[in-house]
Amino acid sequence: MTRKIARREFVAGSALAAGLLAAPSVRSQSPVTITFRFNDPEAPQMRAALDAFERANPTIKVTMQRVSWGDAQAQFLREAAVGTAPDVAQVAFVWPRSFGGAGALRPLDDLIRRPGLGVRGWDDFFARDLAVGADGKAYGVPWTTDTFAMIWNKDMFAAAGINQFPKDWESLRAASQAIHQKTGKAGWGFPAGSCGTPTIWFVLNFYWWSHGPGLIDRNPDGKFRVSMTPAEIQAGFDYYNRYLQEGHNPRASLSYCLWGAPEIVEGMLAGNMAMASVPDTVAIEINTKWKQRNPDKASPFATSPHPAASNGSRTFFGGRMLAISANSKNVEAGWKLIQFLTQPDPTFTQHYTNYTPAQRAALDSRAWAPELSGYPEQLKTARSWGPYGTGPVPIPFMWNAVGRTAGSVFIGEKTSAQAAAELHDAISRELARNQR
Amino acid sequence: MSQSGIRPLVSPERRFLLVALLPTFFFLLCFYVYPMVFNIETSLTDLSLFGLRRGGDWVGVENYVEIFRSGDFRSVLWNTIVWLTIVGVSVRILLGLALAFLLNSPVLKRWRLQTLARVLLIVPWATPPVVAIVVWRWLLDPRVGTINSVLMAVGIVDQPIAFLAERLWVWPAIITIITWNTLPLVTLTFMASLQSLPDELIEAAKIDGATRWQQIRYVYLPHLKPAIVVVVLMSTFWTFNNFVYVWLTTGAGPGLYTNVMATEVYIQAFINGKFGFSAATGVIMATIMTVFGLIYLRVIAERELAEERT
Repeated sequence: MTRKIARREFVAGSALAAGLLAAPSVRSQSPVTITFRFNDPEAPQMRAALDAFERANPTIKVTMQRVSWGDAQAQFLREAAVGTAPDVAQVAFVWPRSFGGAGALRPLDDLIRRPGLGVRGWDDFFARDLAVGADGKAYGVPWTTDTFAMIWNKDMFAAAGINQFPKDWESLRAASQAIHQKTGKAGWGFPAGSCGTPTIWFVLNFYWWSHGPGLIDRNPDGKFRVSMTPAEIQAGFDYYNRYLQEGHNPRASLSYCLWGAPEIVEGMLAGNMAMASVPDTVAIEINTKWKQRNPDKASPFATSPHPAASNGSRTFFGGRMLAISANSKNVEAGWKLIQFLTQPDPTFTQHYTNYTPAQRAALDSRAWAPELSGYPEQLKTARSWGPYGTGPVPIPFMWNAVGRTAGSVFIGEKTSAQAAAELHDAISRELARNQR
Repeated sequence: MSQSGIRPLVSPERRFLLVALLPTFFFLLCFYVYPMVFNIETSLTDLSLFGLRRGGDWVGVENYVEIFRSGDFRSVLWNTIVWLTIVGVSVRILLGLALAFLLNSPVLKRWRLQTLARVLLIVPWATPPVVAIVVWRWLLDPRVGTINSVLMAVGIVDQPIAFLAERLWVWPAIITIITWNTLPLVTLTFMASLQSLPDELIEAAKIDGATRWQQIRYVYLPHLKPAIVVVVLMSTFWTFNNFVYVWLTTGAGPGLYTNVMATEVYIQAFINGKFGFSAATGVIMATIMTVFGLIYLRVIAERELAEERT
C-alpha cells in the first residue's frame, strides 16, 4: 500500500514537473490579442476578413475598434499621447506624415522591405510619398485608393436633350439648369452645407485644380506659399453659388454637407437629382440599391470624369493607409495583419469588396462595372494631395476654413470677394505661423 | 488650555472640521483647480493636436491677442451673448412665466386638467437633449420634415424651407429647440413659487379692487422675484456654456453663422487642432461668466433677496 502510494505520488510529481517544464513553450503558443481601429461603415465585412486572418494565424486574436471618420484623427492622437492607441489603425491618406511627426506612429522602414506585403511589394503601392514623414521614414502602408467622379442619370439628361456628359464647367452648369427647367428636378444637387468635413471642399478643389493652381504649393527653395489669388478663390465660390442662385441646386442642399448623405443617395435613386460628385463606394451603393429596387430594369446611371479646364480634369487620389501605433507592444502581430489585409484575396475579393487596393497590380486587374467606367478614367488624371499633405497647414484646418467661407457666401452672409479675401488671409496667416 | 499648559494650535472641533472637509478640498483641487490652472497654462502655449506628446511652446499672450483682433471672434461673442443667451433665456423666462400662470389657473383646476397638463409639461424635460435635437432636426428637415410638409400642404410655402441652413430661420430654430427642451424646469420652478403664495394676499388684493393685471404686477411678480433671480442666473450659465444644442443642430453653420463660444472651443481644438488657441477661448469664456456671475449676484440678486427678507 505504502509502495503503491509512493509510486502514484512519483507519477503525479513527474506529471507536475513535466507540466511546469512545458509551461514556457505553452505560454509562447498562447494567443496574442491586438487591436485594430477601423473607421469605414463596412464593419461586418471587415470582421469577416479579420476572422479569416485569425484562422490563418491561430496565435493572433484581433479586437476591432470602431470610431467614425469625423472623430478618428483627434481620438487617435489623444490616445497616442498617453500610450493607449490601438496596435494597428486605418488612417486617411494624408495623416501618416503629420501623425509620424507627432510621434504617434511607428516607423515601418524595417518592415516594408520584408516579403509578403501586397501583390508585388512596397514599390507597387500608390501614394507612397504621403506615407513618408518629414524625417524620411515611412509611417503607413497605402491600403485602398479612391477618387471622386460624377455619377449621372442618363434618362434625366436625355429629357433635357443632352446625351453625353459635359466636358467643361460652364456646360455642366448649363446642363444642370436645363435639366431643372425641363424636369423640375435638381440638376447637380451638391451638398452645400457647412460642417467640419464638408463636400464643398472637394468640389471647390476640383474646380480650382482644373483651372490651374491649388491653395498651397511649394517654392523651389522648399518653402510653401498660398498659390491662389483671392480672385481665383472667388471664381470657385461664384461658380457653385450660381447653382443655388439659379435654383437648379435647391436651397435644401444647404442643410447637408456629406458626399454620401441620404439626401444624395436617395435623391439619385428617386430621380430627384440628375447628378452627384461621389467617391466610388457611394456610386456602388447607389447602383446596387437601384438594382435591388428595380430588378428587371437596366440601370439609368453612368459615371464620367469631372469637367476639365485649362489644367484638365483634376480630382485627388484619396484612400486609406494602415499604420502601427508608436505605443504598440505587438509589432510583429500587427505587421502580419497588415500583410494579410494588403493581399487582394480574400480581403478585397470576398469581404471589403467596395474598395480598391492601392496597388498598381491590383488596380489593373480590377473589373469595373460598366456604370462605373468613369472611375478608372478619372483615376488617370487624379492628382496627389501633394503640398496640401506635406505642407505646414493641416488639411483639416483648410477643409474647415474653405467649407465655412463657402457656406457664408451661399447663405448671403458675405460676398464672394469678401469670403475669398478672408480665406486667403486665414490660410496665409496659418502658413506663416507654422512655417516660422 | 491643555493640561501641560500649552494651548493647541487648532482646537479639537476645528481639527475635526478640517479632517471632515479634506476630501472636499481634495476633490476641488483635483477636479476644479488643477484643470483650471492647466487650461490657463495651455492657453499661453502653442500646443497643437499634433504636438500632444511633445507639448507646446510658450507664446505668452499671443493667442489672446489673435482672438481679440479676429473679426470672427466678435461675431462669436455676438452670437453667444445676444442670440444664445439674452434671446434664449428671455424667451424661456417669459414663456415659463406665462405657462406657470396658465397651469396655476383656476380654469385648469375646474376642468381637472391640471395633472394632465403637468405630466405633458414634464415630457420635453425628460427627453435627453441629443434625442430632442435629432427629433427636431427631422421635424425641420426640408426634404422629409413634417413642418415643411404641413406648411406646403396648407399652401403657406411653395418650396420647403431649410430652417437649419437659412439665415432668417436658423437662430429662431435653435432657440425653439432649446426652449422646448428646457422650458419645463423654468415653468416648474415658477409654479412651485406661485403655489407658495398665500391665498389671503390675492383675496386682499381683490377686495382692494385690483384688476387681474394689477394682481400680477403687484402681488404675483414681487412674490416670484427670488425664483426669477435664481432661474435667470442658472439659465444664463447653462445657456452661455452650452455646446450640445448648437453643435448638434447646425454644427455652428451655415458658414459660421451660429458659431458660439463653446463650439469655437471645439472647432479650434478638435478640427483646427489648435489646443492653445482653444484653451485661450475657454479662459475668456470662463472669465465672462465669472464677471457676469459676480455682478449679477452683487447688484441684482443681493438687492432682490434682501427685499424679500425684509
